Amino acid sequence: MSAQFQSPATTESEPTSTLAAVPVWLIVMALVLVYWGAVYFDKHGGWFNAKVYGPYRSLQEVQDMQPISGGANLFGRGKAVYHKPSCVLCHQPNGQGTPGQFPPLVGTDWVLEPEPGRIIRAVLHGMQGGPIKINGQPFSFGASMVAWKDTFNDEEIAAVLTYVRQEWGNKAPDVTPERVKEVRGKTKDRSTPYSPDELMKVSPAE
Amino acid sequence: MKSGALVFLAALMALAGSWGGFVLAPQIQLAGLVQTNATGSSDLYPLGRPGLAKQGLEVYRANGCVYCHSQQLGQERTICEIMLTDAGTNAAATAAAIAKLNSALATPLLGGVGGGSKELLAGLPKLILQVTDMNAAEPAMKTLESAGAKTEARVVPQGADIARGWGKRRTVAQDYLADYPVQLGSRRIGPDLANVGLRLPDADWHLRHLYAPQNEVIGSIMPPYRFLFERRKIGREASPDALKLSGKLAPAPGYEIVPRPEARVLVAYLQSLRADAPLFEAPLTPPPGTVASTNAPGVSTNAPATATNAPATTPSAK
Amino acid sequence: MTATSSTSPQHIDSSCRLPLFALFGGAAVWLALSSVLGLIASIKFHSPSFLANSAWLSYGRIFPASTNALVYGFAIPAGLGVSLWLLARLGRVPLAQPWLIAVGAKLWHLGVLVGLIGILAGDSTGFEWLEMPRYAAVILFVAFLSIALWGFATHSARSRRREEADSSGSADVRLVTSAATLYPSQWFVLAALFWFPWIYSTANLLLLAFPVRGVAQASIHWWFSGNLLFVWLSLTGLGASFYFLPKLSPGSPGLQSHYLALFAFLTLILFGTWVGIPSGATLPAWMPTLSGVATVSTLVPLLTVGLIAVQTLRGAKTKCGGGPLCFVKFGVWSFVLSGVMLAASAVPEVSRVTDFTWFGTAHTQLRLYGFFAMTMFGAAYYILPRATGIEFPFAKFIRAHFWCGAIGTLLLTLPLAIGGVVQGFKLVNPDVAFMDVTKSTLMFLRVSTLGEALIALGNLLFLFNVLAVIVRYYRAVLTRSYAAVTAQLEPTPDPSQERNAEVKA
Repeated sequence: MSAQFQSPATTESEPTSTLAAVPVWLIVMALVLVYWGAVYFDKHGGWFNAKVYGPYRSLQEVQDMQPISGGANLFGRGKAVYHKPSCVLCHQPNGQGTPGQFPPLVGTDWVLEPEPGRIIRAVLHGMQGGPIKINGQPFSFGASMVAWKDTFNDEEIAAVLTYVRQEWGNKAPDVTPERVKEVRGKTKDRSTPYSPDELMKVSPAE
Repeated sequence: MKSGALVFLAALMALAGSWGGFVLAPQIQLAGLVQTNATGSSDLYPLGRPGLAKQGLEVYRANGCVYCHSQQLGQERTICEIMLTDAGTNAAATAAAIAKLNSALATPLLGGVGGGSKELLAGLPKLILQVTDMNAAEPAMKTLESAGAKTEARVVPQGADIARGWGKRRTVAQDYLADYPVQLGSRRIGPDLANVGLRLPDADWHLRHLYAPQNEVIGSIMPPYRFLFERRKIGREASPDALKLSGKLAPAPGYEIVPRPEARVLVAYLQSLRADAPLFEAPLTPPPGTVASTNAPGVSTNAPATATNAPATTPSAK
Repeated sequence: MTATSSTSPQHIDSSCRLPLFALFGGAAVWLALSSVLGLIASIKFHSPSFLANSAWLSYGRIFPASTNALVYGFAIPAGLGVSLWLLARLGRVPLAQPWLIAVGAKLWHLGVLVGLIGILAGDSTGFEWLEMPRYAAVILFVAFLSIALWGFATHSARSRRREEADSSGSADVRLVTSAATLYPSQWFVLAALFWFPWIYSTANLLLLAFPVRGVAQASIHWWFSGNLLFVWLSLTGLGASFYFLPKLSPGSPGLQSHYLALFAFLTLILFGTWVGIPSGATLPAWMPTLSGVATVSTLVPLLTVGLIAVQTLRGAKTKCGGGPLCFVKFGVWSFVLSGVMLAASAVPEVSRVTDFTWFGTAHTQLRLYGFFAMTMFGAAYYILPRATGIEFPFAKFIRAHFWCGAIGTLLLTLPLAIGGVVQGFKLVNPDVAFMDVTKSTLMFLRVSTLGEALIALGNLLFLFNVLAVIVRYYRAVLTRSYAAVTAQLEPTPDPSQERNAEVKA
């Protein structure tokens, strides 16, 4: 019966393949590409590190771009922290504060003390309002300052203090993150803001 | 020749290899990412998007915005810029120090250093040096500091995408932690949207643009999305949300065009799009006075310094 | 029936008839639909307001519906049909369980229908090439397995009788004719049958069912689309090419050679599986770098395929004349060209320009349409008449389809490729306003819309021919049955008698 069937397929056979070998140049090309790939990956792949994204080629290149933690760069970072907005809301962009409420920072002995022990404490734990003396003059500190210890880390506090000690014509040494860390450690059990009198009893170098 | 078994084995191994590489390995590396502090700050990043913006992502997905808009930025290089913020008391010493540093560079950045210290030190803060990385920046800054000047080192990502104003740095995995589906996109028929919330914070603009793109951007080929809006008769008083349209687009008197909820949430999503937090893997010095980014505009504050960066997320609340 | 007649080409072909009707018939319908949707999407670039007031017809829905109809509606079922036929023919056994395969094929098409409606209704998943929502993906996955299973069953039942094959083969010892040794096409299509369930289940589980977090989604998505659009298409398409190139070229020395094909196969799956992550991707540097290196390395299998095609066609004396061989030849050269474009765009210096431009669309379309679809057309034009015993009623349409497809593909992809490069150079130059970048591509998009229209025309011709064969087949069967019933004399016709009747008709 099937012999009567005259479709184009009747006489066809399946295709065959020859046994010619793979040309050498093709294998050489494959090897060259694999070698090039390995070299290229070695240079650009960041060695499987999850923190390396292009255009960085290695973890070292990423690390070399991290902001310097101390030194002059504290000032620039402190400026950002100050205007976050955090300090700027009360102490104002020009650092002059508001008479009767928020004390000024410009030319203020509290800020410019060579040793920053008191001002670090004030920023970390806050300060109760009340009559205080600024550069010997009485100032009515109407509001109170909030504690920043949970908001900012040591570097940020060091940066913002360095900023206020060196901006608007102020001239005082940097506050280092290490110093902030030290004070934070010493006062870690404290949960209430300092009163002005209490703060005055603290030695600035402590 | 048992070629059948060999073929199967080869296929299995090839597929298993790439499965391990591009399915399993990213899971191991990236699935464990958690919120982290932006560099040098205690802000957590990303904060996650507000609820409205999350609903907006659903509208974005359903309507295939991803076919024309990417949400990922590249970066060609990163440089380090030293800014002079304060020339100090001895301007001449500072100028000399800068001149010395500049002459050590292959291509001095500031020509005419000899023009006098006044000229050089005018208009601070001012870019005085470009160096390859922080290692090179540190000694230069020390030199200037010892001359009595104040400097600031800035990490500046560069590249075409950044020069277009689409963002401040490349995008990294951390930016998409809270999103599903992640809409990176592969074509830029329209502009990149990774930072559209930062670039275009105005909700009303977005609504008008969705309704009639060509009216806001001349020559745009974006289709209008009028099905996200409703044309309705003005009731007792006009809705405060009604689009302010003029000319041919204005509805007939007595009618108004108001956004449907889909349009509102989509705009909330667009406003929430920003990826500019400085991170370890994407270092960047934020411009002074800006807040390190969060994905949640409107959450942090309404203070003036950030108002332009953090638009209100709830257009309907007006 | 004797063993010989049960493994005769005629018997094998007719065992494939029902599955092929279901697979090819549905595929032709989806293909035509895809062209129409694609054409609408393309028109929107020139007239953004065109059909813009309906959410269902907006660009962001109609475009993925068009690409999904092309890949899931046409490419996969057509590829499955050709794969099954190749496995049966090369295994010299009738197809296993044709009825069940036909049911699986209907289920697949149901899944595509559900998925496309889902996309148009706004249920797209948001992952390009994987837009079909979960509920459709489950149907598709089950349907694929239920079809592929019988492909494997057919393969394992293959005839191992060496003497039969040897008696029909040549005496040349350099020819591989033993039925015990697999023909290269068999590796390719078997691997493809195995590939799809793996990549599709991985992508659906990790992106839709239990989504992973953050850009790990993007990585899996790129892995899936690379494996689908490069590896799966290449395996299935080349499986068909390597069969039809020597088969349709009398005078050809046979596939040149077994070892070259094996080399192409191994390097294709070795490098190809890593293709897909663009160099600027938001992923740790090692992933795009590794993917880029692998993509450039796919030049090896590409060149090998080119070499095989040149050597296999050398000495062949026939002109293709717009027939199946034309399609297959066009397909294999499109494969090489699109692959070279892909490899080139993985070089970092090039990808810096071509990323995010139309260039990627150009080589994807060239691979999808110029290579895969054209190869499938060639195969379908060859297989369907043999499976039914009926020639295509509109032979001129085949020729017209070839020219529409070939010219349409070139008009679609070349302007997109050139436009993509132009667009790319403007994109990386921040001094050029973005609107000017967009404007510079419009001229190229216009030409490509023309190409798309030509392709759509060709696809309609294909649909017409395929449906005509199916209709004629069933009409012949009905006529025959009617005659049998009315005559009340003849016994129930057996299948081979049916076929004879059709042939005579």
